[in-house]
Amino acid sequence: MVQCSASLDGSFAALSDQTRRGILERLGRGEASISDLAAKFEMSLTGIKKHVSILEEAGLLTTVKVGRVRSCKLGPRRLHDESAWISAYQQMLAERLDHLETFLERTKGNE
Amino acid sequence: MTNSAIGAPARALLSTPGDRDFRLERVFNAKRERVWKAMTEPELIAQWWGRGNRLVIERFEFERGGHWRFVEHTEHGAHGFEGRYREIVPMERIVSSFEWDGMPAHVAIQTMTLEQLADGRTKLVSTALFHTAAERDGMMHSGMEGGANQSYEALDRVLAALG
Repeated sequence: MVQCSASLDGSFAALSDQTRRGILERLGRGEASISDLAAKFEMSLTGIKKHVSILEEAGLLTTVKVGRVRSCKLGPRRLHDESAWISAYQQMLAERLDHLETFLERTKGNE
Repeated sequence: MTNSAIGAPARALLSTPGDRDFRLERVFNAKRERVWKAMTEPELIAQWWGRGNRLVIERFEFERGGHWRFVEHTEHGAHGFEGRYREIVPMERIVSSFEWDGMPAHVAIQTMTLEQLADGRTKLVSTALFHTAAERDGMMHSGMEGGANQSYEALDRVLAALG
């Protein structure tokens, strides 16, 4: 469970960036090369490679080199992490209800 | 009822009936009307739903079929959550789909039920049901591919007939 949370934290960090979320969204529709992604997000190859390697470390993306082209696709983590996602969902919901409880206490007598 | 003292908010009771669903109960020290308002008025939702993070309510079409989209803004970035309302029974029940941007199309169906208790407190029961990969994979092996092939064959026949 601790391991699950740690890996999910990795996912959250990887997904905290708009470009990285955009890359995953793009790969959800099919594979793309580094240069395709650089063109789409109007970034340098170096800039895109940095994002790709963060996503790759988080297991959210994998790359394969075919000839001179490095092709990116969605990684294995998305499927295997569902149990982690479910426990993260539970934790988030419990936190939300904690905050709802605090809110209800704070606004007591306002009406 | 719970065995906690009246007036002391009860902690969540959490049980996991299965791998892909769970149930969470909470008793709030407030009347049902107040809890319902806090859950259904955007300016109130914004004060607690974000778990202490700034919350931007991008869409809130609170009606059956309506789309909701809430985004939590943290120092590490933004996390978007969204879904559609499946059922709304005023003061009683909200059923909606729930997705996180980070796991697109991994949809949970969540149900929130409110019950007014005799002592003036309100019990909230929250359940969620997840559609899992295992279930989807099961479907893949139980003829969905065959079904797709049949459809393609039918399409081939139509195209052939069109010449």
